[in-house]
Amino acid sequence: MNLMLNATQSTPAISADWDSGVLSMSGDSYPENAFEMYADVIKWVEDFLSNKESPLSLELSLLYLNTSSIKSVMDVFDLIEDAFQNGREVSVRWYYEESNERVSELAEEFKEDCSFPFHILEK
Amino acid sequence: MILPNLYNLREQLAEERILLCFNGPISRSLIEEIGVALKKYLQAEPLTPASASDVFAVYIELTQNIRHYSENTKLVGSDVATVIVSQNLEGHYAVSAGNLLYHNDGEVLVKHINDLASLDKIALKKLYKEQLRKPRDVTATTGAGLGIIDMARKASKPLKAELKSVSQDISFYSVSVQL
Repeated sequence: MNLMLNATQSTPAISADWDSGVLSMSGDSYPENAFEMYADVIKWVEDFLSNKESPLSLELSLLYLNTSSIKSVMDVFDLIEDAFQNGREVSVRWYYEESNERVSELAEEFKEDCSFPFHILEK
Repeated sequence: MILPNLYNLREQLAEERILLCFNGPISRSLIEEIGVALKKYLQAEPLTPASASDVFAVYIELTQNIRHYSENTKLVGSDVATVIVSQNLEGHYAVSAGNLLYHNDGEVLVKHINDLASLDKIALKKLYKEQLRKPRDVTATTGAGLGIIDMARKASKPLKAELKSVSQDISFYSVSVQL
């Protein structure tokens, strides 16, 4: 089961591929109700982790996140962290552009709370 | 017909170095449209992308807080937002926002903001991480969890907030965040 959401002004493009186990999110994320939007992402990650055994990789090029999006993304990382603690192969790659250090600072703060492989990479 | 006193308004906006102001019922789409205008304006200014990003972030948090409060409480008139983006003489940007709320909620908010004023950046980060880890309080009306701490972290000075009583249990709440 794949997930595909087009980007809007305030929401990122999201795609999740069941066969390859890649979840990608890119763009700004500041919807008024972030919890509703991320509920689909969380559901997909939960389903993938419980129904498949193959690795899960997140490919992120997220830019600005409002605080409710930050909380939602943290929920996604918590799921991944639990799976990692149970021996699952998982990873996050967060891409940023050098010009805006706020993006890499944001990624760094998430990384502090995660023990799975978390790469912050300049584009 | 009365011609509005545009000159006085213009003078006042100029005197207070107000770059953008809005007063009226705020909707999800208006927040986004004004946000786009603000972003474009900031891009044209001699600002680093990080500073522009901070001004935008504070604008979004403040206006979305008003929307959440209004949606949760259904308090009549609480969706009317007064929003200002200004620049002081040293070039610092400030985002200020105000709306009507129940006086009791306002007191909680103002106290919270004043409590944050004494914390340094390290203490604010610690508090931010704690708040990030707390389960969501679905009954919270102010939604004033992570957002206010996040703004305090971005601000160059402690946040300022005040209440002006407008009736027995309703006040006008204003908050200003200097970047």
